[in-house]
Amino acid sequence: MFYREVGQFKTSYKADQSIFPILQDRIGIAVILFVAFAIIPAFGSDFFLSSIMIPFLIFALATIGLNILTGYTGQLSLGTGAFMGVGAYACYKLTTFFPDVNIIIMVLLSGFFSAAVGMIFGLPSLRIKGFYLAVTTLAAQFFLEWCFIRISWLYNYNNSGAIEVPRREGFGDIVLAGAAATPATRYLVVLSIVVLMTWIASNIIRGRIGRSWMMIRDMDIAAELMGVRPLYAKLSAFAVSSFYCGVAGAMMVFFWLGAAEVESFDINHSFLYLFMAIIGGLGSLVGSFMGAAFIWILPIIIRALPETFGIDINAATVEHINFMLIGGMIIFFLIVEPHGLARLWQIAKEKLRTWPFPYT
Amino acid sequence: MNMAVAPTGTAASKPAAQEVLLDVKNVSLSFGGVQAIKDVSFNINKGEIRAIIGPNGAGKTSMLNVINGFYHPQVGEITFKGETRSAMRPYVAASQGIARTFQNVALFRGMSTLDNIMSGRTLKMHKNFFWQMLRFGPALDEEIEHRHKVEEIIDFLEIQHIRRTPVGRLPYGLQKRVELARALAMEPELLLLDEPMAGMNLEEKEDMSRFILDVNDQFGTTIALIEHDMGVVMDLSTRVVVLDHGEKIADGTPEEVSANQDVIDAYLGVAH
Amino acid sequence: MDILYNIFIDPFVQMGNAPDFLLQVLWSGFVGGTLYSLIALGFVLIFKASGVFNFAQGIMVVFAALTLVGLYNLGLPAWLALIATIGVMALLAIGVERVVLRKLVNQPDIILFMATIGLTYFLIGLGESIFGGEPKKMITEELGLPSGSTSFEPFGGLVIIEHLDVAAVVMAIVLVTGLAIFFNKTRIGRALRAVADDHQAALSVGISLNQIWAIVWFAAGIVALATGIMWGAKSDVSFALQIVALKALPVLIIGGFTSIPGAIIGGLIIGFGEKLFEIYWGSLLGSGVEGWFAYVIALIFLLFRPQGLFGEKIIERI
Repeated sequence: MFYREVGQFKTSYKADQSIFPILQDRIGIAVILFVAFAIIPAFGSDFFLSSIMIPFLIFALATIGLNILTGYTGQLSLGTGAFMGVGAYACYKLTTFFPDVNIIIMVLLSGFFSAAVGMIFGLPSLRIKGFYLAVTTLAAQFFLEWCFIRISWLYNYNNSGAIEVPRREGFGDIVLAGAAATPATRYLVVLSIVVLMTWIASNIIRGRIGRSWMMIRDMDIAAELMGVRPLYAKLSAFAVSSFYCGVAGAMMVFFWLGAAEVESFDINHSFLYLFMAIIGGLGSLVGSFMGAAFIWILPIIIRALPETFGIDINAATVEHINFMLIGGMIIFFLIVEPHGLARLWQIAKEKLRTWPFPYT
Repeated sequence: MNMAVAPTGTAASKPAAQEVLLDVKNVSLSFGGVQAIKDVSFNINKGEIRAIIGPNGAGKTSMLNVINGFYHPQVGEITFKGETRSAMRPYVAASQGIARTFQNVALFRGMSTLDNIMSGRTLKMHKNFFWQMLRFGPALDEEIEHRHKVEEIIDFLEIQHIRRTPVGRLPYGLQKRVELARALAMEPELLLLDEPMAGMNLEEKEDMSRFILDVNDQFGTTIALIEHDMGVVMDLSTRVVVLDHGEKIADGTPEEVSANQDVIDAYLGVAH
Repeated sequence: MDILYNIFIDPFVQMGNAPDFLLQVLWSGFVGGTLYSLIALGFVLIFKASGVFNFAQGIMVVFAALTLVGLYNLGLPAWLALIATIGVMALLAIGVERVVLRKLVNQPDIILFMATIGLTYFLIGLGESIFGGEPKKMITEELGLPSGSTSFEPFGGLVIIEHLDVAAVVMAIVLVTGLAIFFNKTRIGRALRAVADDHQAALSVGISLNQIWAIVWFAAGIVALATGIMWGAKSDVSFALQIVALKALPVLIIGGFTSIPGAIIGGLIIGFGEKLFEIYWGSLLGSGVEGWFAYVIALIFLLFRPQGLFGEKIIERI
């Protein structure tokens, strides 16, 4: 009844190709942005900001990174965690060398380091596909993990082997990173970066480069016969994807965890991001947010549920049930809706168009 | 048999101005022990519709694959627009102006019809990564300019109604048409059509034939065509080359070829 | 020049000076390689028959071992626990076929692959919620596996060979021989090879795909159980083993995805290579190179011989 595009005529291709061609969508996104930028930081509790919203946004960005590679270019990666690690360690070293530069600039710069590493490990993708490539990304995962442990230069020779976020100020004397940074500040920084990078991702995907990625994904031979150079297409996907992952990794340490060791970037995390991408919907930016929310918030609910019902279950059991549920959900989604939550959302929107008179 | 009916339409009206666009010389191709093409030579003139026919397994598709660089022949050379080469990557062929459609539809199934056709413009778009990132200014202008071109092709092939549909959901006949549209979007000088009418009913074949003739007529595109329907081949093509077991057994106008004893033997079998 | 000396000369000098130690290293590499081969074998079985790249094979190893120990700890005698575990693996095979494979038939390979990653998580959660997450001891003696060791003194040195390792190697040989006979001499084996070649053609001559898939997953489950027992006996049974099990992937890259001899030789290459590299070259890089060595070898293989040692060259058609 309300979600209808009737009467909205587009008179130019420009209007036809904008991100949100339908008026209701434009209103919707404006409301969401207003809530995210104004309402949540003003009224959200510290717990809500730092344990739910910040990690959710960071995971969503990592999932977008993975989606660019796996969902849009069709190159399966099991090394997302390690690429995020590269970003985190790069940012740590950068801010050690240049403590006076705004940390946000450093976070964005660190993406270039993981982009470079990603391109190196993406080189085999020119000759191999599918699971074979998955194995080379596993090689990246384990090799980089080893580097994070063995090369103590990366964590400034700390005895703990962890990187600890120093206090960093910017924009006058606002504390952006470190223990003194308020959740609201960190949230707003993360949100701004995520919104900006999501917008850029959507631009790339809808243009020539994004199309050449999808051509490679859907039928690489035909793509090559139409003039796409596999070298450029695949390596650019690896670079952009790793850039996103690297920024997400740096944000994870500097704006969320505050300190991190290699465990934050291990293979289980890589799987987690893959799951977010699958459940959200491969090849969908909205889906990346949905998948991240689903995988991150589901365990929180599972942990909270027994308490609300007054049942006492120990934490380990909850963790196990969580594993089972996630595994089960993955299989369920692959069987029932391989395009994930994003497709369900799309179907809902289509239904909504004709609601409440589906036959008119 | 209506095979020998005098060619109608463009084939007959085309002037005999002979400029060779593509020249295939002594090409041989083998996979392991299997010889797919044996010492085949022929040429394609600018502006003509050249049919490649032959029984199943004659090496027709392999020939197209050689022409657009997907297979690399062991022996022989190919001259396109005066440039000779033996082996090259498919994207180079594409950038030189060779486009093709496929025997089994090879559309990008995850994309809409519009995006599939836009993908044909890949080589014509040049705006760099920075502008693509912002999708603003030059990148947006470029995108819209090519959208205009794509819409012209959509109009030409009469597929406006499926613009937004994911190609996976389209019926077979329309998929073939979208594939042709995608190839046309490349504005090729040489268009290779691999069985464009396979699996179509009479009406769809007539439509497709009309499109092929229109493309040849309006855009002046040179076409190489593989087809099994002899009626179609005889009506559409200017000249026909016949392959059998990887060898060329005949080459000439449709009438000459259909009168050739070797061709008749290859198609009907011969008593030993 | 020191670095070159350390890379190209010094390790071999060490080997020459202590041949007995070299033998010991080679033996442990051999045993490790055998176990890698066994995990890879499970992968190959499933890949050949259903085209599914079963990421969960490693977890099936842990799951089988965990079930065995768990059932024994519940009070079942060892032999009964073993039989019951085989039963559980059969149920798992049927379950996977019913719930996952049947529903996903004809989907792209990568979807099936991701489904097995989901299966991996599911099995981890299931195993841990039933049997608990803490590491457990394998019931080596109760199953009648030998313990103790024999020492040799070649070259005036000392080489110790654990009886358990010998048992592991013997078990691997028996399993591989048994599977080879099963594949080549029985009706089901023939049906299996038919399915591996072409699903639709196999269907058209009346072979039940569902049945074959269940059988293959069961066979892979048995292989997983055997591997789990041997591996569990060498270290403890816990889900940390899955990281080790992932090394079957580089083994497959080297051996080719469809070749049983390839799995065995690939396993041995990784086993030997990893131990030798860790002991003689590892100190140059700091220890722990075992974690990624196998993958890097696989990466190199992929660059030069993507189809593996025994795989066939792929000709792409269009």
